[in-house]
Amino acid sequence: MSEPMKQGKRFDHRLPERFIPTIDRELCRVCKRCVSECSYQALEFKESRVVAVGGCVACGRCQALCPANCIEIRPVPPQFAPHGNWSEKSRRAILAQASSGGVLLSSCGADDDHPSIFDDLLLDAAQVTNPSIDPLREPVETITYLGRRPGRLEMCDGKVIIREDDTPLVRLDMPLMFGHISLGSISYNAQRSLFMAAKELNIVAGSGEGGLHPDFYQYADRICSEVASGRFGINPQYLKGGAAVEIKIGQGAKPGHGGHLPGEKVTTMISETRMIPRGTDALSPYPHHDIYSIEDLAQLISVLKESTEYRLPVGVKIAAVHNVGAIASGLVRAGADFLTVDGYKGGTGAAPRVIRDHAGLPIEVAISAVDRRLTQEGLRNRVTVCAGGGIRSSADMIKALALGADIAMVSTSAMIAMGCRVCQQCHRGLCSWGIATQREDLCARLDPEISSAHIVRLFRAWNEELKEVLGAMGIDAVESLVGNRDRLRYRGANPKIAEVMGVKHIGEGWG
Amino acid sequence: MSERGCRPGRADRRGMPLLADNYTASRPPAWQGQLGGCGIASCISLKGERIPGDRVARMLTIMKERENGLGAGYACYGLFPDRKDQYCLQFFFDDEEGKHGAEEFLSERLDVTHDEKVFTSESSTVPNPHPIVWRYFANVPGKREWRGDKGLSEDDYMVELVQHINEKVEKAFCVSSGKDMAVFKGNGYSHEIAEFYDVERYSGTMWLSHSRFPTNSPAWWAGAHPMSLLDWGVCHNGEITSYGVNRKLVEMNGYRCTVLTDTEVVAYMWDLLVRRNGLPIEVAAFAMAPRTFEEIALMPPKERRLAEWVRITYREAFLNGPFSIIVGRSRPETMLIALADRKKLRPLIAGLSPDDSTLYIASEECSMRIVEPDARTWAPEAGNPLVAIVGKGVIRRGTEDPFLGVRS
Repeated sequence: MSEPMKQGKRFDHRLPERFIPTIDRELCRVCKRCVSECSYQALEFKESRVVAVGGCVACGRCQALCPANCIEIRPVPPQFAPHGNWSEKSRRAILAQASSGGVLLSSCGADDDHPSIFDDLLLDAAQVTNPSIDPLREPVETITYLGRRPGRLEMCDGKVIIREDDTPLVRLDMPLMFGHISLGSISYNAQRSLFMAAKELNIVAGSGEGGLHPDFYQYADRICSEVASGRFGINPQYLKGGAAVEIKIGQGAKPGHGGHLPGEKVTTMISETRMIPRGTDALSPYPHHDIYSIEDLAQLISVLKESTEYRLPVGVKIAAVHNVGAIASGLVRAGADFLTVDGYKGGTGAAPRVIRDHAGLPIEVAISAVDRRLTQEGLRNRVTVCAGGGIRSSADMIKALALGADIAMVSTSAMIAMGCRVCQQCHRGLCSWGIATQREDLCARLDPEISSAHIVRLFRAWNEELKEVLGAMGIDAVESLVGNRDRLRYRGANPKIAEVMGVKHIGEGWG
Repeated sequence: MSERGCRPGRADRRGMPLLADNYTASRPPAWQGQLGGCGIASCISLKGERIPGDRVARMLTIMKERENGLGAGYACYGLFPDRKDQYCLQFFFDDEEGKHGAEEFLSERLDVTHDEKVFTSESSTVPNPHPIVWRYFANVPGKREWRGDKGLSEDDYMVELVQHINEKVEKAFCVSSGKDMAVFKGNGYSHEIAEFYDVERYSGTMWLSHSRFPTNSPAWWAGAHPMSLLDWGVCHNGEITSYGVNRKLVEMNGYRCTVLTDTEVVAYMWDLLVRRNGLPIEVAAFAMAPRTFEEIALMPPKERRLAEWVRITYREAFLNGPFSIIVGRSRPETMLIALADRKKLRPLIAGLSPDDSTLYIASEECSMRIVEPDARTWAPEAGNPLVAIVGKGVIRRGTEDPFLGVRS
């Protein structure tokens, strides 16, 4: 330990505030609601009025709940001398790290301002040579199946042979799934909201690493049970009761990284669900310590298929990394029924900032790499590809499908529907919206009935928008969009990206 | 896309100038496929009598609204009764060099028993250049090997050869490679192509034909319909909006797309589903034009299970978007299949001669009325295949239950 530390001398740099809640004194009734709502203790009642005392993260809770609507959260103007190379962000990071001496943590997805490739893609529509379809008048189908497909049907003595036992499939009403967000990283009420919504939408939701709370078995037929490197909460009921099983190798926000739920978050409820003692840190190792190679993964897939009696699809989730195409091929050959690819903009409850912001691949590129590679190897029509990490809207979802994903995976957008403002403080466990926290008073702020309704409404609307776009393209079933890159054009600044993705440039027709 | 601009004096029916580019066997540079409307017409003798070519030409040429002089073609089945067990490879060559290259390639790999020039008219109004059209009758040798693979069936071997020629052998394009059939197609109006080949000189038990109205891309003889591989012939009116998806399925199964049109993919799809995967016609048709899951849910349990599995398994075979197609094959029997998309966004009509001896399929009723004024017509349903076989009659009218007669 260094000298100043030993002496207990405080040597944290004091950083300027980033946000200041500003109260309109003329309107404020001094009800102090904002003070009690602020879980970050950025507001205090002092001498007959509420004052901002620092630490505001712009979670927006005070502003949203102020009965007088008199709070405005303002970003603090730049407090650093301007410099083109040394951005405020980089200097803040240095000061914070010089103070703590540790790995900087953050949450949500990478917050750099690299433009999304989705925004550089334009969709096609039908004109004259093929008719567009009005989804309000004619069927446009969005039903999607998750799992392994046989590739072809066999004939025997003039009979078509169907071996449905070999290929368990889960039917979804739309090409969407909720990503894996564990109980622990989010609250009981938040996870319940997701599960209720998944059931209502007839899609699947990931369980996250951490088992399944006894109350949630009622949604199990819509839950994809995750088997991660910590093996928390895994029991026969957890595996067999779900819709599908997914081995988590990696996560887009932190490829090559494990997980860490600090002991203070391991409450009685979490300890029972994860099957670990209360108050102990829940550490998920970086790799699975029984998977050091592809053949080891093949064994775990077999074990899980055996334990679920071949009734459930067993998939593998990987972070999008540079060699994602070849890895995906290995996964299919190892027996995975579905793959989930998570792009570098994917969310997280806590990740080292250096990995979150600097490792992995954009999901758009990863999807096309996986789709192409599996097609080249003749494997694409046997496996379901799920992809997520930065899907913000129905347009992103549609483009992800056109690039080659069967199912779009979303998490952050579902949480935003519940109230999340993406303030990137999940790792602190103080979520004022009752989502990424285990503090009872904060958890109680989220009503699963209301939150799940919000989620359902959002994604029903996305599904309607999907149908509108399909209809406009003259496509009446979503499977005819999957991997149909002909219906996309690239309009960005770097045609090499278009080439890598197998998408034509704007202005290039085909007839 | 045009290299030479428009040709003075060459215009379509409405006086619109046509591109001067005219390619025969070689693919035009920057070729990106074609789209547009089309006319299709077909006739099949259910009793096995021979139908002269002018009959189908009359059926096709009457549908003037459906073409603009940029491509037409005919396929004749039951054409070579004396050589019906041999493959007939019919070629376009740009010049003698292309012919020489293809012959050199074939001589080492096939037992060519006979070859001949295909008649083409010298006095044709079809714009120049014209390809050299040549046909070869050949047997597949018992000892065959393709790139180290010795276990290929005769047909698979032939598929490899034809696709290799079309992809790699310069100035040569194999337009048909089936048994007891040949394709006559080119760049011009349907009547011009009929005259160019003098289709009147041919007669067969079944004819397919096609005329088209593409946008003004360079004309390419080999890109005209019917598209053919082995004895499959496909005439297609439509635009497949799922082309990128369908192409993936055929490419995953080893087919190489050389023409880059949706019709080519449709031809390969039939070959894959029916010949290679062995599916009954009804099942293959269902895969290409499936019912909605809502409709499937209303089927009896056994059909429902089959329907769901066909749809899930052959998701990439689903031809989305508007189309009507007529498909011919000569083996195991000379057969005609007609299929429209599941919303029936393109026309398809069937008619039987009063004596039940001849079946007609066309885009428009006028097409059959001109050759058979008293034909009894009906409209096959959306996504429901019509099947007729020479010597057996109409097996399916395209109005039956989707899996009638299919066992699972």
